Amino acid sequence: MNAGFPYLSAILLAPALGMLVILLLPHGNQRAVRWVSLVSAVICLALSVYLYAAYDRAAAGLQFVERASWVPSLGIFYYLAVDGINLPMVLLTSIVFFTGVWTMWDLQHRVKEFFALMLLMVVGVYGVFLSLDLFFLFVWYDVSLFPMYPLIAIWGSTRKEYGALKLTLYLLAGSALVLPGILYVYFQSGLFTFDLVQIAQAGLPVEAQYLGFFLFLFGFGVLAGLWPFHTWSPVGHVAAPTAVSMIHAGVLMKLGAYGVLRVGMFLCPQGLGDWSPLFALLATVGIVYGAFVGLAQTDLKYVIGYSSVSHMGLVSLGLATMSQGGLSGAVFQMFAHGIMTALFFSSVGHIYDRTHTKLIPELGGMAKVMPRASFFFILAALAGIGVPCLASFWAELLVFIAGYRAYPVLGVCAVLGLVVSALFMLRVVQKTFYGVKNERFAQAGDMTMVMIVPRALLAGTILLFGLLPRLALDLINTGVAPLVGMFK
Amino acid sequence: MDPVAPNGNELLLALLAMGLPLLSFFLVFFVTRPWVNLSCAVSLVCSGLPLSAAVWLLAGHWRMEAPILWQLTWMEGGGALVTFGFLLDPLSLLMLVIVTAVSFLVQVYSLGYMAGDPGKAKYYAFLSLFAWSMISLVLASGLMQLYIFWELVGLSSYLLIGFWHHKFSASQAGKKAFVMTRLGDLGFFLGIIVLLLNLGDLSILGLNQQAAARLTPGLLTASALLIFCGVVGKSAQFPLLTWLPDAMEGPTPVSALLHSATMVAAGVYLVSRLFPFYQGSPQALGWVLVIGTVTMLLSSTMAMVAEDIKQVWAYSTVSQLGFMLMGLGAGGYFAGVYHLATHAAFKALLFLCSGVFIHQYATNDFFAMARAGARGLKVPMLTLTLAGAALSGVWPLAGFFSKETVLAALAELPNPAWLWLGILGAGLTAYYTFRLLFVMWRPRRLEPPPEHGERAGHGAHEGHGAAVYWVMAAPLLVLAALTVLLGAAGPALQSFLAWGRPLPAGAHHTWLVWASVLVVATGAGLAWLEFGRAGAAQQGFLSRMPGLWNLFANRWYLDWLYRWLLDHVVYGLFSRLFTLNDRRVVDGGIDGFCRATLGAGWLFSLLQSGLLQYNLFTMVLVMALVGLYFLLV
Amino acid sequence: MNSLHTYLFIALVLFCIGLFGLLKRRSLIGMLISVELMLNGAGLNFMAFNRFLAPDPAVGQVAVLFIMGIAAAEAAIALSLILALFRKIRSVNVEQARQLKG
Repeated sequence: MNAGFPYLSAILLAPALGMLVILLLPHGNQRAVRWVSLVSAVICLALSVYLYAAYDRAAAGLQFVERASWVPSLGIFYYLAVDGINLPMVLLTSIVFFTGVWTMWDLQHRVKEFFALMLLMVVGVYGVFLSLDLFFLFVWYDVSLFPMYPLIAIWGSTRKEYGALKLTLYLLAGSALVLPGILYVYFQSGLFTFDLVQIAQAGLPVEAQYLGFFLFLFGFGVLAGLWPFHTWSPVGHVAAPTAVSMIHAGVLMKLGAYGVLRVGMFLCPQGLGDWSPLFALLATVGIVYGAFVGLAQTDLKYVIGYSSVSHMGLVSLGLATMSQGGLSGAVFQMFAHGIMTALFFSSVGHIYDRTHTKLIPELGGMAKVMPRASFFFILAALAGIGVPCLASFWAELLVFIAGYRAYPVLGVCAVLGLVVSALFMLRVVQKTFYGVKNERFAQAGDMTMVMIVPRALLAGTILLFGLLPRLALDLINTGVAPLVGMFK
Repeated sequence: MDPVAPNGNELLLALLAMGLPLLSFFLVFFVTRPWVNLSCAVSLVCSGLPLSAAVWLLAGHWRMEAPILWQLTWMEGGGALVTFGFLLDPLSLLMLVIVTAVSFLVQVYSLGYMAGDPGKAKYYAFLSLFAWSMISLVLASGLMQLYIFWELVGLSSYLLIGFWHHKFSASQAGKKAFVMTRLGDLGFFLGIIVLLLNLGDLSILGLNQQAAARLTPGLLTASALLIFCGVVGKSAQFPLLTWLPDAMEGPTPVSALLHSATMVAAGVYLVSRLFPFYQGSPQALGWVLVIGTVTMLLSSTMAMVAEDIKQVWAYSTVSQLGFMLMGLGAGGYFAGVYHLATHAAFKALLFLCSGVFIHQYATNDFFAMARAGARGLKVPMLTLTLAGAALSGVWPLAGFFSKETVLAALAELPNPAWLWLGILGAGLTAYYTFRLLFVMWRPRRLEPPPEHGERAGHGAHEGHGAAVYWVMAAPLLVLAALTVLLGAAGPALQSFLAWGRPLPAGAHHTWLVWASVLVVATGAGLAWLEFGRAGAAQQGFLSRMPGLWNLFANRWYLDWLYRWLLDHVVYGLFSRLFTLNDRRVVDGGIDGFCRATLGAGWLFSLLQSGLLQYNLFTMVLVMALVGLYFLLV
Repeated sequence: MNSLHTYLFIALVLFCIGLFGLLKRRSLIGMLISVELMLNGAGLNFMAFNRFLAPDPAVGQVAVLFIMGIAAAEAAIALSLILALFRKIRSVNVEQARQLKG
């Protein structure tokens, strides 16, 4: 297993090297900056697709393992591997990264710094998804968070300093719970190793799991938009520039859920048992609450932000059910939601670029003005309300079934949230895209063929995984199965 | 009866019927959209071939002995298995032919109706999507597949109803249709989950054969009623019936498609599909009967006061669907399905005829059409009359026979009230249908046609008159022929649906035939008195009762109630409160926490006098105290 | 008279006078002088202990030498700071130097 080309390190290195090259480039050379970013994105995308295809589903387990001791005295390892849980996340990151770079092609302001920071963030994200060493995982986690502040505060819009500050404070507060959690687990396990797999196999004392899971749940939960720690996310989404919103909502929020799953649930399966009713309750409140608050919003990005809160609630609900279906659904939902929100923000980004507004009352009739952009937005909205044959439908289906099985009342409430989310999505679609053509924006251009490419990639992914859900679920099921065995 | 696997021919034909419309959707939507005529051609071919396949399959299996089943695993995870495939049995074959036939005819008709519309290609793409979802729904082998396409049918109807989305009312109607049916689907979905968790088998054959034996009666009734919620939403039954009249905002051919063979028929189809399952729970069937009856009467009264031709047919659809559900609820499997089939033919015909008038006179008000000389259009006028007569149940048209079977099923019930309510409904139907027909045939005075171009989407195509007229008239003639012929096909269909087994000899109620003929004649006669005879004021008796009139014209204030709930509960209460909570409590809490941190910093900063000696003094004091502490302790 | 207590008492008096001066004087020069007094008090302590309790290793003397050296350096730095401050606010009164007030 150890032999062969280090694909995972290559995925990690491509954006890191890209960032270094960008930093070394002369200041005025914006074209080169964009091309370097694109090339590193393409490399990541190609490698991820290859990994996705080459992963041996029958063998399952951790594959493409790269493990080397880094600080032996502290038990820190450079340990990368993929399984059925993080492989879809890696693919998601690559797709969103690629489309994000392409979406920001026309950026003019401080291009070099923007792409350097974005690449840095992506390195962090890949690091979190690929690392199986708690120390590295935490370091990468913070690496992925801190570029958000400058990215939002410099290139953002609408109360950008406020949004950036709020987001950073929230996420750092989350980290402040995660770090003690990791150290706690490190000492409680008695192994003095940061190797996640070893700790999980040895098992923690039950009392330690109780506190440990609490720390991980709320530490990572903040980033996953767990109610009531969600308000950073709509504000942050609104303030961030398009590609950052895409990565932020599409990938970063998944880091939180992934952390709960990979660290919290892997290490403290018994702890989850104690906390799961609360977890499920918060998740369900988030689903319904996000949809209702979304109804009252007038800013397109706020609407998407709250829909993210609602959809991430579904992920949490799936995790809280502790069952095969719920976990598979949650992981699939992370993937599907990531692609979907990326498409949302990508379309809204175009509309905002052309009309300089994202207030719903000022828009209207956009389907006539920019049919292509409208198509992509509407497709994302339909995916968001769980229309079958679009990726998130399957995820929601699994989560609802598992949710109903584990918590019947909460399951019913969550399904009710689906009706409300249909109402608010369709309301936005109607007010923004339907109606009489708005003469004020008659000259605002539609997407050109070049701009369609990233959106088409996202839309195609939604359709592909919607029509052929087994493409993802067969893989995810293998990753989730060993975890389910740990809950008793 | 154990299912058999399909042979190569059957597999090919069924997959052709299921696959071609999807292919056509993708092709037209993503590739050929700029070329309108090519798009129409692709779409027509891809709806014509499934029709031929369906007819072939039906003809080849006229004497089938066992259902044909073919399925793949579509998705699997956590005990939930979703299959994709098809189940061919008499019911699905019959329905397949109906769906493909109506959608093909509607596509032909739309060539004329949508001529010159800028979105014609997109319209055809959506029609294909609609056909695909409906065909896959009809052929579904498992309940989950049925649910998936059920939702997709909802989606396509949303797209088509809101097709002229620049009109606020159209986009509003599309949204309403989607959300209201979604509300019903909530129940459907929960019903599926209940079945999945308690039975573990969602195949339609399995449900029909084993559910009654393996589930407790309570669970059986609960799941049957939950699934019926979906039917209430999709078939626009009470209390979720108000979306359907609004759905008239879509292009008229869409209404024809929606109302006859797809979408709303899906609900009735679902109950027939799971009929043995429903039979396991008499309570559930009882509810079906109650809801069907309430809906039929309620919507008939609404139709009596409507002045928009499409509204009249919309209400009549709702009421006829209620009638079918009454038949099914009374245990008359064949009655419900047969009425569904004949209704598909004559309701499609009614809408398509109305479409010709609307297209011609650019108004929906049938009084205005009549004044503009609607009776001059011979083909649509005659076919409209034929279809109207079939709707009210005039011998020897199809509607008469299917209505009789439903009434016969009702007559089997121990409580005679159901039968009388059914007959009352038939009378009301005759009244509102003939009201419309008499107004159309005998206008008070003729006027020059009103100015064109009021309805968007109908502007610039006055030129190609004759060709457009005949493209639209041809499907009318086909459907009219079906309306007449289906009446005679009753016994044959009945034996086909019963797998060719000898039929149980039901009691023949000769008096029933006479009673219903009498009631229909009364309704029609009343309509003649008020609208038909020379010198009639063309004012219904209801206009002398303003209270009732308002109640009926306002749809029993159901819409008003929903609006109120939406405005005051969903928006006014939950949405507003949660938003306030987000701003004030959650965000306010965080902001307050931040402010408290700042305030605390400010408070502590007050201690900093800036005078060096105070700091020193404090230091000395603290050190002294520490020293004291160590000395004493 | 020639006992450890005498020296310790004198050192204590020296230290307290220095401390009192440090807290009382508003002039930086005066405070600096007071600090020197305190240092001397501490130095005297060292010498006394060295003389009476541990005469042999002479560690106390070393410590005192260090204190003297540090006192000299401290005086130089403090005076230069005071000079810098004087240039800025034309005063050596600490009541004038209250920019750090919260």
